[in-house]
Amino acid sequence: MSQGENGLAVETRGLVKKYGAFTAVDNLDLKIERGETYGLLGPNGSGKTTTIKVLCDLLKPTGGEAFLLGKKVGDNSIAPRIGYMPQETALYLDLSINDNICLFGEVYGMSRAEIASAEKELLEFVDLTKWRNTPVSNLSGGMRHRTSLACSMIHNPELLFMDEPTVGVDPELRASFWEYFETLGKRGATVVITTHYMDEAHRCGKIGVMRQGKLIAEGSPQDIIQSTGCGSLEDAFLELARKGGHHAD
Amino acid sequence: MRIKRALAITKRIFRGLRHDRRTVALIILAPVLAMTLFGIAFSGEVEDVDVIVVDHDGSDLSNTIIGNLDEQTLNIRFMDSEQEAVKKVEDGNAWAVFVFPEDFSQNIATKNAVIHLRGDKSNVNVASAIATTLREAMTETLTQAGGEMPVSVSESPVYGEDAEFIDFFVPGIMAFAIFLLTTLLTLLAFVGERTSGTLERLKASPMRDGEIVLGYVIAFGVIGMVQAFLLLIIATVGFNITIEGNPFLAYIIVALLALVSVNLGILLSAAAKREAQAVQFLPMIILPTFLLAGIFWPVEAIPSFLRWASFAIPPTYGVEAMRSVMVRGWGLGEIWMELVVLLAFALVFMILSVKSLQRGKG
Repeated sequence: MSQGENGLAVETRGLVKKYGAFTAVDNLDLKIERGETYGLLGPNGSGKTTTIKVLCDLLKPTGGEAFLLGKKVGDNSIAPRIGYMPQETALYLDLSINDNICLFGEVYGMSRAEIASAEKELLEFVDLTKWRNTPVSNLSGGMRHRTSLACSMIHNPELLFMDEPTVGVDPELRASFWEYFETLGKRGATVVITTHYMDEAHRCGKIGVMRQGKLIAEGSPQDIIQSTGCGSLEDAFLELARKGGHHAD
Repeated sequence: MRIKRALAITKRIFRGLRHDRRTVALIILAPVLAMTLFGIAFSGEVEDVDVIVVDHDGSDLSNTIIGNLDEQTLNIRFMDSEQEAVKKVEDGNAWAVFVFPEDFSQNIATKNAVIHLRGDKSNVNVASAIATTLREAMTETLTQAGGEMPVSVSESPVYGEDAEFIDFFVPGIMAFAIFLLTTLLTLLAFVGERTSGTLERLKASPMRDGEIVLGYVIAFGVIGMVQAFLLLIIATVGFNITIEGNPFLAYIIVALLALVSVNLGILLSAAAKREAQAVQFLPMIILPTFLLAGIFWPVEAIPSFLRWASFAIPPTYGVEAMRSVMVRGWGLGEIWMELVVLLAFALVFMILSVKSLQRGKG
């Protein structure tokens, strides 16, 4: 079946990833609509990062299938259309902010003019314009996170994967990050984000809760709260983790 | 494969050097220092060796032989007592004693004349220089006396007419410095890519594994050639080395050796999780290259059971090709085999290094 017509940004069918005897992702069926902001929640070791790495073609699945924007993962035409922001800042410390952003622009085949225009807009958003020529090694942790986000966004991807992008980021910056993610959603981009913060999960259109490699609950934050009969998303998350979970929709 | 993406990696390496003065210093100073120190240390012959002459004969003949001893090589002192002279050697105050017995000149007629040499042979180079100097003095004395050897050797070298030891090892040091530094720099840079997460970020982009490797190859190939240029300048200006062959061909050898080294560095980086682990590979690179590649002594001097190891390491071919171009003046027609072997090493390492990037997918 062609995956191009179903409108899904991400689809996995029975996705499995094993490391020896350990199953990191266990028969995962995931459907994420285009333009959605989807939050993957779960305790450490629940398989969130492995799922994102398989979807970004950084790890080979042990079983099952995965599709992005209607194409099977591994198809060369997908990479230019997606963005990936890893857990660690993953920047060249010996290069300036400008050099890092330009490098990733060049890697994505952008022209100098395109890079210059996109960089200007991104640096204004992440408030790093006046630091653009500073080596990353001289920046604070928060500034590095902002630079990392700019590098992930330079090519204006249709689908953006972010693995715990706000860990170690102060509340003010987290809030501005989320404003930006919502802007991306309004522009039609799909954002898949892993997080531990319940206030961030609340801002997602849909969330999936993972435990031991399985999707144990999925739905809007409100649906999940209601289906568990809890008063807050945090309580619902703890309840799901205790029971083993269910799907809200 | 898009060259533009590979060049983005190349540019990133050079941009990084702008802010990394320590690495720039390593790239420039390390080969220069190595060449200068080795050049100074190895360019001299053995000189000023303290020896003692005990001449019990005191004849014209013994005096002539003593007079013909090369005074640049030997510092000659005279003593009367053989026992005391030998004591000087035993105490480390002299390297050898030449003893002319009382009946030395008388025994010439019966061909039983003997010069006793009591030496400290703990340093074979010094001992060899002493013996050679004494033999030359005797030959010179014989010639002066009108006696000539019935056979003489007429030497007209095919290659390396004025070559000295420094001409022999300079090509080796060049190949060694470029092989070692390029492997080390790539290894450290690539371990950095792996540990910082930038490699993962690149792999999530349209960048292909081969393009990443190619970007590194171009950057470190250029760096290797800059190093080779510096080394050639020092060799020719500082140590009066004459490059008999085409210097451009020497650059091709350097570029090929850098190609091998870059890919070896990437390959080794797959086995290192941190920079500290990468440094542990250094002895694995330095020792075989230093001992087996024919830099300081010919491969033919290595025991036959170990000689296969010399031919299993790439620098051996780089050293041989470099020496052939610089000392023998050979061209492409003569060194093509070494170039093909280096190219084969480079291709095999390149395939393996690209595979090592793919292997990370698990």
